[in-house]
Amino acid sequence: MATIIKSYEPTFWDKIYIPALVKGLMVTLRHFFKRKITIQYPDEKHIPPEGYRGLHRLNKYPNDRIKCVACEMCSAACPVDCIHIVPGPSPWEGDKERYPVRFDIDLLRCIFCGFCEMACPEEAIELTEIYDFSNYTRESLLIDKEGLLEVYELTKDRNFYSRVKSKESQS
Amino acid sequence: MPLLKIDSLEIEVEKGTTVLQAAMVNGIEIPYYCYHPALEIVGSCRMCLVEVEGMPKLQVSCNTFVGEAPPERKIEGKYDMVVNTHNDLVIQERKNVLEFLLLNHPLDCPVCDQAGECYLQDYSFKFGNAHSRFDEDKRVRPNEYLGSQIVINHNRCILCSRCIRFTREISGTSELFVEARGNKSKIAALEDKPLDNLLAGNVADICPVGALLSTDYIHKNRIWNLKKQPSVCQDCSVGCNVDVFYQKDKILRLTPRENHDVNGYFMCDIGRYGFHRFEDLDRITTPMARSNGSFSAVSWDEAIRKTADKLGDEGAKIAGIVSPFHTNETNFMLGQIINGPTGTLPQMNDEEIIYQSGFRISNDRSPNRRGMSDVCPALLEDLVSEIDNQDVRMIYVLDDGIDREIDDVWKKILAKMDFVVVQTYAMTTLAQSANIILPGPAPYEREGTITNDGGRVQWLRPSLPMKGESRADWEILMMVMKALDKDAQDFTDIGQVMKDMGEKFPAYDGLSFFRLGPHGMSLNGRANG
Repeated sequence: MATIIKSYEPTFWDKIYIPALVKGLMVTLRHFFKRKITIQYPDEKHIPPEGYRGLHRLNKYPNDRIKCVACEMCSAACPVDCIHIVPGPSPWEGDKERYPVRFDIDLLRCIFCGFCEMACPEEAIELTEIYDFSNYTRESLLIDKEGLLEVYELTKDRNFYSRVKSKESQS
Repeated sequence: MPLLKIDSLEIEVEKGTTVLQAAMVNGIEIPYYCYHPALEIVGSCRMCLVEVEGMPKLQVSCNTFVGEAPPERKIEGKYDMVVNTHNDLVIQERKNVLEFLLLNHPLDCPVCDQAGECYLQDYSFKFGNAHSRFDEDKRVRPNEYLGSQIVINHNRCILCSRCIRFTREISGTSELFVEARGNKSKIAALEDKPLDNLLAGNVADICPVGALLSTDYIHKNRIWNLKKQPSVCQDCSVGCNVDVFYQKDKILRLTPRENHDVNGYFMCDIGRYGFHRFEDLDRITTPMARSNGSFSAVSWDEAIRKTADKLGDEGAKIAGIVSPFHTNETNFMLGQIINGPTGTLPQMNDEEIIYQSGFRISNDRSPNRRGMSDVCPALLEDLVSEIDNQDVRMIYVLDDGIDREIDDVWKKILAKMDFVVVQTYAMTTLAQSANIILPGPAPYEREGTITNDGGRVQWLRPSLPMKGESRADWEILMMVMKALDKDAQDFTDIGQVMKDMGEKFPAYDGLSFFRLGPHGMSLNGRANG
């Protein structure tokens, strides 16, 4: 048996709508004098907070050796299987013996959950603050090792958007 | 028989069984590293310590034998031995032993190829401590080559001496020994005798940690990415049972699978690394027909029609070349199609090697010669003269994909032929002279049964998908058969071929993959009609 619940009975004042309209406009008016949150994207970029999970990067040591040892913990932890690694013996002498020959991430598959950076024992893979990497083709959203290292160069000071902004203001 | 009590389980065991064996058989887990069923017991890892009532200290269960106690000394009036494997003392002792084993272990699991199938990893997780009290520097040593195919990472080694016992007892070559004593001890190979015997690859398998590594698999992949398929080695007539580890369409490694009727626990390096020769082959993936001296790809329908047009000529004699590399079913099917003489390609012979432990590498490097001659009884030694006698003008060849020189005998045969059909997977010299090439699967893509030289029929399971348009061997032969004779029996799967084969050859009667199971079935004692 369905239960009939008495819904709200509109009163006369509700029916003429004017008080509701005034009430809504009051909210608009209040915000009119507040600090503006809207930014002029894409001319002005939003700077994400610390810990934002955007585009991936692969970190490097100061001597240019890639931190990744191709242990494939990230691809094992990945819930959508978007990381593909081909390991190989490292070409650097007397260093960690393993490195990724190929390191591909399918950004279309990636759900940016951040499990990969949590699983990484070498702190090699990290998610950066870059969020605007949309593109026209599917192929250009498969990022390889070189691409990920390039992202590292762009973001190693963790100021990707602020740097872009300051550059623009200089020119 | 002595009555043994392990934890709460009462077991009656044979006199002389070890406690570890009794526990394993009855599903009680006792961790161990140095014990291996095929090797001598040394009790060096101390991981299998258990408490035996009445004994002053904990005992290594792998080297504690169950015997009969005199009636007045029986415990609780009936047990000959009472063992505790899970009380607080034993659990604490396991933690201590693991802490010792891990003193110098680098814990580099992320880069270690053993990770995922490592006993040290598993037992540390299950029985070990999360922390070590050892805060000195760990002993660090560089990696060394023990032989051309085996690398040792000394840091990971726990000195269980399985590898040493293997070279002493199984291969009988004794290359390995423990160098120095105490903290300095390490596994080393004799200076003038590196670990280069044909069983060397097994030491990497039996190593319970990631210390011994095969150069063939090192840094190739992680074990949890690979799929495992039980199969049979196809590099000699012994037919060792193997596990094929593959990812997508690539085999990464083979490891031996236990089968006491065939290979025991081990396999040889010829078979272990043999799969590489199928990797960079010039594969044929579409049916091809030759016209004006060059091959062009054709559809299956056309290829089969062309074949049947020629082979179906009135009164034509067709010779067949069966192959000891193909399955029983394929050879059987070809035997049904041809009406002329049957022969085979020249045998690939090599040295026969028998090791101290009885492990054998056969001189016949084809997996299924016994099965081939079982299902093609009219096999001829001298094919040339028979072809001359019967004036055979057509030949159907099951090619084994080995690119051998065409010798004079074969030149003579091919010169006589008007029409040559080659069923193969690679562009061999023989395939070059074909009129029609039908693409079949390569080894490790095939399914069927093969019979080893000891008369054991084994289930050959496919691991890799077939390439391109190639089809299963029995399916190709069935298509040819149907095109030749509309009333031919219609097989829908290989099980039916097997059944039909059993009807014609009683030794193979009643076979099915289910009956063969993982370890195969012996033909001995079955009459072949």
